[in-house]
Amino acid sequence: MRYPTKYDSFVGLEIHVQLTTESKIFCGCRNRFGDEPNTNVCPVCMGLPGSLPSLNQEAMSKAYLVAKALHCDLADTCLFERKNYFYPDLPKNYQISQFAKPLGTNGWIDIVVDGVTKRVRIHECHLEEDAGKMIHAGDMSLVDYNRTGTPLLEIVTEPDLNLGEEAEILIHELRRIVRYLGVSDGNMDEGSMRCDANVSVNTKGAGLGRKVEVKNLNSSRFVRLSLNYEIDRQTEILEDGGTVVQETRLWNENRDQTIVMRSKENANDYRYFPEPDLPPFRTTPEFLADLETRIVELPLDRRVRLVSTLGISQTQAEVIGEEKANADYFEKVLEYGADGPTVATWMTGDVQKLLNRTGQSAAESPLTPERFAELLTLMAEGKIHGKIAKTILELVFEKNKNPRVIMAEQGLEQMNDSGELAKLVSQVLVDNPVAVEQIKAGDTKPMGFLMGQVMKASGGRAEPGMVQKMLKEHLG
Amino acid sequence: MDIAELYTTAELAQIKLEDSEVESLGGEVSQMVAYFKKMMEVSVDALEPTTHAFIKKNRLRPDTFHPSTLADDILEQSPDLEDRFICIPNVL
Amino acid sequence: MTQQINWKETLADGGQKAYIAEVKKRDALVGSFLEFDPPRGKMARPQAEVQTTEELAGIPFAIKDNIALRNFKLTCGSKMLAHFVSPYSATAVEKILAAGGIPVGKTNMDEFGMGSSTDTSALGTTSNPWDLTKVAGGSSGGSAAAVAAGLVPFALGTDTGGSVRQPANFCGVYGLKPTYGAVSRYGLVAYASSLETIGVVAREIPYLEKVFNTIRDQDEKDNTTADWRDFSDPKEGEVTKIGVLTGSLGLDPGVAEAYAQVRQELLALGYEIVEMQLPMLDYAVPAYYTIATAEASANLARFNGIRYGHRPVYSENPEELVQKSRDEGFGAEVKLRILLGTYVLRSGFQDQFYLRAQKIRTALVRDFDKVFSQVDGFLLPVFPTQAFSHGDGGLDPFQQKVADKFTTTANLTGLPALAIPTGVSGGLPTGVQFMAPAFCEDRLFGLARRLKSNLTLGEPPEFPALYAGQEGRS
Ligand SMILES: [Mg+2]
Ligand SMILES: [Zn+2]
Repeated sequence: MRYPTKYDSFVGLEIHVQLTTESKIFCGCRNRFGDEPNTNVCPVCMGLPGSLPSLNQEAMSKAYLVAKALHCDLADTCLFERKNYFYPDLPKNYQISQFAKPLGTNGWIDIVVDGVTKRVRIHECHLEEDAGKMIHAGDMSLVDYNRTGTPLLEIVTEPDLNLGEEAEILIHELRRIVRYLGVSDGNMDEGSMRCDANVSVNTKGAGLGRKVEVKNLNSSRFVRLSLNYEIDRQTEILEDGGTVVQETRLWNENRDQTIVMRSKENANDYRYFPEPDLPPFRTTPEFLADLETRIVELPLDRRVRLVSTLGISQTQAEVIGEEKANADYFEKVLEYGADGPTVATWMTGDVQKLLNRTGQSAAESPLTPERFAELLTLMAEGKIHGKIAKTILELVFEKNKNPRVIMAEQGLEQMNDSGELAKLVSQVLVDNPVAVEQIKAGDTKPMGFLMGQVMKASGGRAEPGMVQKMLKEHLG
Repeated sequence: MDIAELYTTAELAQIKLEDSEVESLGGEVSQMVAYFKKMMEVSVDALEPTTHAFIKKNRLRPDTFHPSTLADDILEQSPDLEDRFICIPNVL
Repeated sequence: MTQQINWKETLADGGQKAYIAEVKKRDALVGSFLEFDPPRGKMARPQAEVQTTEELAGIPFAIKDNIALRNFKLTCGSKMLAHFVSPYSATAVEKILAAGGIPVGKTNMDEFGMGSSTDTSALGTTSNPWDLTKVAGGSSGGSAAAVAAGLVPFALGTDTGGSVRQPANFCGVYGLKPTYGAVSRYGLVAYASSLETIGVVAREIPYLEKVFNTIRDQDEKDNTTADWRDFSDPKEGEVTKIGVLTGSLGLDPGVAEAYAQVRQELLALGYEIVEMQLPMLDYAVPAYYTIATAEASANLARFNGIRYGHRPVYSENPEELVQKSRDEGFGAEVKLRILLGTYVLRSGFQDQFYLRAQKIRTALVRDFDKVFSQVDGFLLPVFPTQAFSHGDGGLDPFQQKVADKFTTTANLTGLPALAIPTGVSGGLPTGVQFMAPAFCEDRLFGLARRLKSNLTLGEPPEFPALYAGQEGRS
């Protein structure tokens, strides 16, 4: 239940993206998910007395790269600051983050909602360190610090979204972007992408309402559900003449509703101040030049291009453009002269089925772009027909050989010699007098049966069009 | 500094103030804060803050990982371990 | 340097026992060490691999207990860390080990470096070898006392607002506060990160120089270190003009007398003296304490009883665990500074205090830019008094803080400073300090050497030189 004519709703997101680096942001420990607890730790990420942070160059590059992809103004000087708060999984009890001078500001991201492009402004992007993880077990909590110090990019949007669905779409688009850039795997279920949101509802035209923060949104589905729940909840309060309380709420996935976490009255005072252990970072021409070499065409731009210049369908473009490697593969096949729509049809159909079965990506499968194109060429040349092509495709996966070689080895080349075909057809007509009679009596049903018999006799290689034509000549 | 400010500050610092400490610590804090106010005599409007001295070049570390050889020694310092986890009373 | 040979023998197989016995006897009075264990120190680096040609081969040294040495405690003079054993060593320590030095133990200090007497230590009392009723100064009081009592030829200390220079001054030894960024802070337990540096206390100038040259370096583990080679001294250590701080300095008679005497000696040695004033000097201490406590409030937040350190016997929930740990683990001076630092960073107060202090720091930096555009070195007192008494007979905590005005300038500006002993007055050492432009420590060593020839330095009557290389001070 929403009251679209009477109210406006505003949603802003704070999305944390774990960056994939070899080592952590401030120490040489391995940045890896899922190891035994407290193994990837050292004096620095455990906050031992005397330890100091040492900034990882790659974390900085990847963070700037995302900011660039999100069309941010890139700070020529950015500064780390300490954000002070006590929490058991935060070893130093301050988080090294950015505040006054974040690395990227004032950007935007485009999303497509119901076929219409919507531009969502990015307030800022800043780099910070992740905290550890706690497991609650009865009257004890167990702390694992393996995750502390994972480079974390926080992306803050302006409250330009209006519905849960839009937030979900934005999250999917951002996931594609970070995967395209190769800076994160963007998996929400593993926590490598995490989202908090703020929601407000107000009388139409009156601007932002009183903001409620919603936390613990660890899947894009929960983002959608919780935001819509929250919009409805606040709308109802206003409808009843009430006032929304400014507070932090959690999504409770068991009850499908948001519940109060803490009210904002005893607000935190994070006491940000410049991190004295890390000098300001200044971009250099070399640093910026390196970013240029790493930037890629963004997923949305690519989908648009695939549709507009290569003539494939929107749905195909979405499937093919989901992963950069797939889109690259697709375009590689085209470089061998194949035709876009045909490649797209095969890629999203039979090729995808085989890949699903073998659990491989197109790029790592035996079907190299060259082989893919060759297979389609054989068809275009009339050497094989569609069904044989599928057989050969399977054999490419099985034998890891070129389609042309497989065709020759297995004798799968299409039979289109009319003399030979005529012989097969005559034999089939002789062997199936009943069917022939039926057809001659006006029942065309057994036509398919006869067709099948000829194909069978040819080992599937007969060119179906020719067979059909011959049968018609004999029986028509 | 008034008592309420003192308590808020102590809460942020996670320092529990015993009643016996409030008077002495509170007095010393106030004395120092009053002393800090001497800085108001200086006009600082035209000045940028100095937070870091003499650092001109970027300082960055190459992204290579080193095996964590000290993990076990570090865990040994923990007052309460459960397997390799550090143990604390549950967050309620 | 032939003087070193005997120090080397102290820890050789034959000498070790006698050395340990003598140190224990002396330190029962002075109380400079919190942990003293030369055999364990020798294991810090396999002695078999040490080449006799190495710069500090076989030389024993002491380390302030806020600098990490693997397998030794790292208490910072606090109950909070009374049982904490460091799993790693500080970069500066590693460098001395690599040069052949042998760490014999860890020295007492004001809790987390917060004090000027070493009396805020929760773990022991250190007294001045010149007069055991007096403090050794602080916060590196243990290191200064150990060197003054002849227990080691040099010791590492740390200087956040004068914590190397003031105890060196109280104990009649040399105390160097290097340029900020010259020596790695990795392994130094942070009190005020933007102000402090590891420093050296020594009875002889050559040790001071050697150790400094050994430990200074850019360090990948400390992003605030700079490469000293990028900052070469245009005058190559040469000093001809010296600025002298004048005006009403508020010095005790003994200190004032020494200060005047040094000024005379400098003239006698042919230096040109330029009288100078520092407009920002009166604001150095409030700015210093604002910045230092602000940084300390964050730096000491990590002590919460969870991963290491003092943990209360029982606590109901994490918040209580953290609060009790900090309540029981920290002493009063530490709590005071954490509270102050938290307050000056709070929203609504930050601009008025912390930000203003950082701007005053800029003004002070400009003062010194001006100073060093006119002179090559700058003379100023270390502390307004000589070593004061333990307890109520000494300076109260507030007076001690105000008295940091001459030392904190070097920390706020990051400039190097060297406290040098000048003689004895009323049975206690006197001294002065020199400051130099960034990365111009060589000028300070040169000045110290020149002056030494014109001064009469003594040694603590109860603690005569233990080994050769300590006598012959005149
Ligand atoms: Mg954040
Ligand atoms: Zn680490």
